[in-house]
Amino acid sequence: MDQERAWIEQALEGDRTAFGHLVKAYERPVYNLTYRMLGNAAEAEDAAQETFLRAYKKLATYQPERKFVNWLLSIASHHCIDRLRRRNRAPQLSLDGPLPPEWTTSESPRPDQQVSQKQSREQVRRVLETLPADYRAAVVLRYWYGLSYREIATTMDTTESAIKSRLHRARRMMAQELQAA
Amino acid sequence: MDRVVECEHGEEMTALMSLALDHLLEEAERQALDRHLAACAFCRSEWVAMQQVSVVLEASPLVGPPLGFAVRVERRLEEQAKKQRQVFGGLALFTSSLSLAGMTVAAALMLVMGIVAWRWLDASPAVQQGTQAVSKVASGMGLVGKGASLFLGDLLLRYGAPLVVILGVGLVVLVGVWAWLFLKRPGNTRHNGFA
Repeated sequence: MDQERAWIEQALEGDRTAFGHLVKAYERPVYNLTYRMLGNAAEAEDAAQETFLRAYKKLATYQPERKFVNWLLSIASHHCIDRLRRRNRAPQLSLDGPLPPEWTTSESPRPDQQVSQKQSREQVRRVLETLPADYRAAVVLRYWYGLSYREIATTMDTTESAIKSRLHRARRMMAQELQAA
Repeated sequence: MDRVVECEHGEEMTALMSLALDHLLEEAERQALDRHLAACAFCRSEWVAMQQVSVVLEASPLVGPPLGFAVRVERRLEEQAKKQRQVFGGLALFTSSLSLAGMTVAAALMLVMGIVAWRWLDASPAVQQGTQAVSKVASGMGLVGKGASLFLGDLLLRYGAPLVVILGVGLVVLVGVWAWLFLKRPGNTRHNGFA
């Protein structure tokens, strides 16, 4: 944490190498969020890069009492919500496109396990695709980052009750999608 | 899957199910949900599906970006800084031209004011008497001044006040732009080189 603080302070002084350390430290959580939100590897990469560019630009506004990673996730989720709203239609997910590497600790899975994993990934993308942008962000922050309702509300600049409501509606929509499949 | 008749308490029960999945249900709410699920096939089916979705999402790992992500971000930061330097360079050139024009206008204004002041002094009989001793020298310059004052003097008398205000505002804006450029110039690390 002290190292993180030092990098932030150095980056504030214009040290891009220090900012590079921050990028390396948090590229996975940020990319995962953009990927889960946008459902497309190429767009997720671009959105994750954009998140770090915005973070660098707005670094002076970061408040140290807040977790740095949550601040980055906040920038990423707002950016992805904007992108999804701009699409003006349901996101076109390239299910046949290359999937990003997953960060697992296990050894290479057997072929039958690979098939199962791929099905599972596609299922995840399909159910997330059914959700409006702000519901999707709440689900991703809850499941992949284990944030509390309060933390999600802070990240998304809304209230806990709004998050509670979004999560329950999102879960209902995803359940209905699963039942319909 | 066959769907049974939709439950009239569906919304309320789904909210409880969602809280149950996050382990946030109080005991009384938990019992109420259990009682309802035992009696309602629609909500039972939804509860099973919600649990399935939850299991799938919880089992889904973090995905990371392709190799070299940090390098690509660094490259974009560099490109952005380069663009910004170009923009600042252009702005500096533009504003320096503007300030030059501003200074020219200010000089012209001072000249006009001088001429008007001279004209007023020239028209006053008391001043005329007192200045007769130097009038020979001054009259040479006065001829030029008088010609210019016919046009500029009247212009200033008619529109003098708004003109002075406009010039004043223009100069203040120029000073402001220069100050802003100075503070936000690339390399001024207090602002990270970004606006």
